[in-house]
Amino acid sequence: MANVPWAEVCEKFQAALALSRVELHKNPEKEPYKSKYSARALLEEVKALLGPAPEDEDERPEAEDGPGAGDHALGLPAEVVEPEGPVAQRAVRLAVIEFHLGVNHIDTEELSAGEEHLVKCLRLLRRYRLSHDCISLCIQAQNNLGILWSEREEIETAQAYLESSEALYNQYMKEVGSPPLDPTERFLPEEEKLTEQERSKRFEKVYTHNLYYLAQVYQHLEMFEKAAHYCHSTLKRQLEHNAYHPIEWAINAATLSQFYINKLCFMEARHCLSAANVIFGQTGKISATEDTPEAEGEVPELYHQRKGEIARCWIKYCLTLMQNAQLSMQDNIGELDLDKQSELRALRKKELDEEESIRKKAVQFGTGELCDAISAVEEKVSYLRPLDFEEARELFLLGQHYVFEAKEFFQIDGYVTDHIEVVQDHSALFKVLAFFETDMERRCKMHKRRIAMLEPLTVDLNPQYYLLVNRQIQFEIAHAYYDMMDLKVAIADRLRDPDSHIVKKINNLNKSALKYYQLFLDSLRDPNKVFPEHIGEDVLRPAMLAKFRVARLYGKIITADPKKELENLATSLEHYKFIVDYCEKHPEAAQEIEVELELSKEMVSLLPTKMERFRTKMALT
Amino acid sequence: MSGASVKVAVRVRPFNSRETSKESKCIIQMQGNSTSIINPKNPKEAPKSFSFDYSYWSHTSPEDPCFASQNRVYNDIGKEMLLHAFEGYNVCIFAYGQTGAGKSYTMMGKQEESQAGIIPQLCEELFEKINDNCNEEMSYSVEVSYMEIYCERVRDLLNPKNKGNLRVREHPLLGPYVEDLSKLAVTSYTDIADLMDAGNKARTVAATNMNETSSRSHAVFTIVFTQKKHDNETNLSTEKVSKISLVDLAGSERADSTGAKGTRLKEGANINKSLTTLGKVISALAEV
Repeated sequence: MANVPWAEVCEKFQAALALSRVELHKNPEKEPYKSKYSARALLEEVKALLGPAPEDEDERPEAEDGPGAGDHALGLPAEVVEPEGPVAQRAVRLAVIEFHLGVNHIDTEELSAGEEHLVKCLRLLRRYRLSHDCISLCIQAQNNLGILWSEREEIETAQAYLESSEALYNQYMKEVGSPPLDPTERFLPEEEKLTEQERSKRFEKVYTHNLYYLAQVYQHLEMFEKAAHYCHSTLKRQLEHNAYHPIEWAINAATLSQFYINKLCFMEARHCLSAANVIFGQTGKISATEDTPEAEGEVPELYHQRKGEIARCWIKYCLTLMQNAQLSMQDNIGELDLDKQSELRALRKKELDEEESIRKKAVQFGTGELCDAISAVEEKVSYLRPLDFEEARELFLLGQHYVFEAKEFFQIDGYVTDHIEVVQDHSALFKVLAFFETDMERRCKMHKRRIAMLEPLTVDLNPQYYLLVNRQIQFEIAHAYYDMMDLKVAIADRLRDPDSHIVKKINNLNKSALKYYQLFLDSLRDPNKVFPEHIGEDVLRPAMLAKFRVARLYGKIITADPKKELENLATSLEHYKFIVDYCEKHPEAAQEIEVELELSKEMVSLLPTKMERFRTKMALT
Repeated sequence: MSGASVKVAVRVRPFNSRETSKESKCIIQMQGNSTSIINPKNPKEAPKSFSFDYSYWSHTSPEDPCFASQNRVYNDIGKEMLLHAFEGYNVCIFAYGQTGAGKSYTMMGKQEESQAGIIPQLCEELFEKINDNCNEEMSYSVEVSYMEIYCERVRDLLNPKNKGNLRVREHPLLGPYVEDLSKLAVTSYTDIADLMDAGNKARTVAATNMNETSSRSHAVFTIVFTQKKHDNETNLSTEKVSKISLVDLAGSERADSTGAKGTRLKEGANINKSLTTLGKVISALAEV
């Protein structure tokens, strides 16, 4: 070992490291791994210069190692042992080389060789795992083995390695704590050794990645809450260590809010969204770090796109919160149930009492100034289910604000599908607000607004390319007209003398609803305009519902002309019959529309009698 | 249009030199339109069978009466596609499989005798039919595009010098489209062949120690076929436009897990190394 030309070794190592970091697309097109292969050659040379690995003398029985002791001993070491003396030092140096060789082989898709090197690295370090000199290298080697095993789809093995890293980090921070040596320092001259601050920064980055890998493992294991928690922690640490790009961080936080929204955890969702707003606002003030992928020229467009996307996350927050409230307060015909409302009001106090304890358990972003800024945004938005029109309106207005913001970027020319989804959300906001509105005329106006924003879309869109979306919109418009009609009928019922004006309005709404249900049903016909014998299962329920509503609508046309009335009843009967017949032929359809089928059967038995009575009455006059 | 609108065919190729030198065993058998697979770790186990619309046995050679040639594949699949295109329907064919499975051979084939793939045969027949037309009321036009999708970037293979990334946009009337993608008019099969050739050369193919050629990109060859009928009596014209999309997918072993829902052939349990992918991971969680 005496004549190791140390300077040469260091130089070769640094060169190898530089080559390893060359981005792959900078290599010649037909040799994407050229730089990696060159790095590998240099690493092998360094390894040769360092000499053979030290023998495992005095193999102390490591009782504290868990089951499966040996190369994969992942149990926590009982004591901190620093690698002192020339033998230990050589072992550690070789471990660094083995690590880099391992990563190199993995990067070039040679998993078996990669595994060999990494396992060798861990074996060399086994005694010194918890030491200031070796902890970082050890954790990194384990993390890479975790990634390797995930590529082999042995996710539990990956989990074992990564959880071991997590435990090691925590134990180290508890028992030692000082910023550990970064593995690259092994081959640097004294003057170039890193500062404590830099060491800490790098070590914390390693742990952040550890948490990120665990998030992915838990995701694959379908432990979704845990995965979200680890993603949340990863984001938090990025902020704490100033290792983030504001636009990217903001969209990630906003996206995470969607997970919480789906789980109805609105406080957590609000926190993520508020943080997203605050950090997004930092754009331009913070310089890019090495984790930022965007090219310079793309930034302005990306800024606007992300702004629109974050806005859409906010829309979903407002909408879901309001819809959740509706679900808890509606009766069996979809109207506000006053008893349920009182119950929830009583519950409100309890919810407010528990607020502090829930907040403490949740992962919070930022401290100090950042925390205050986020709180300032949170304070303006409720996370509790709205219980009356006033509370609902606040959420509605916030949602609408973000609709306008989202539409700035997601214009119809260029982003058809996205634009339409935003408009549909806007319509849904009106619909759920209408639920809280007590005045029927005002409710009507809200449905009218919905129709006004949806109708132009059916004209502008090419049905050949946007079939599904077109159908959705037609169906929604039809239903909105239907609801409006029912409201007008209720209003008319309250009047002592319903005049011809309101009757005309009711019939017009009826006609419009029919038009759109018919358009929807026509879209199911084949190129020869024939209605399918067998309706596809993806459109079965809406098709059946449409038929049912058409039947009902014909029965509700108000006319003084008895001949017309008879015609309408006949058409109504025809549609009810269709439903009953189809469900007989296709039993799976019967399951889709149980309620409507029952009612249809009733009508099929009642209507003929009613029509007969009508005919006799007509004959007599 | 008769029958199902989606058809699935499977094809097995001969051993390559590496497989032959390692004395590999063939674990695939085909009978009619069924394909069965033997478990090499437990050959006594009953083979598992799967039914497809077509099972093409191309493991042996043309001397074998069971052998499925390029012509046979075209006659079954390509001809029907062309027929539907003439009727005015859009048609699409995807080739899916690992690197080296033979996707490009089936889709493009070789320039040698009777080794032409589906695409060249389809194009040749398209022009034969056009040229054979005697009806003077009918006129035809054919335009082609050829694009490559690599690392989430779209590249125009008919204009590879345009190194820029083409954007995918949606237009309310024209539907989804690739902005600035070249659409070149062609009047003969040779035109198409020349363009395809140039495009194929521009494709991104790379070599590593593990694979001889690693196909990393998806290639989409689109033929826009317009048929105009001019009625001399009424002096009115009607038009039928159909799109024929021929897709050669990248090696499926590199299927990226982007969090898309639905069953995939390979359920990626890979861990993404860089924090730049945090967004994708969170998106996947939000979709659950």
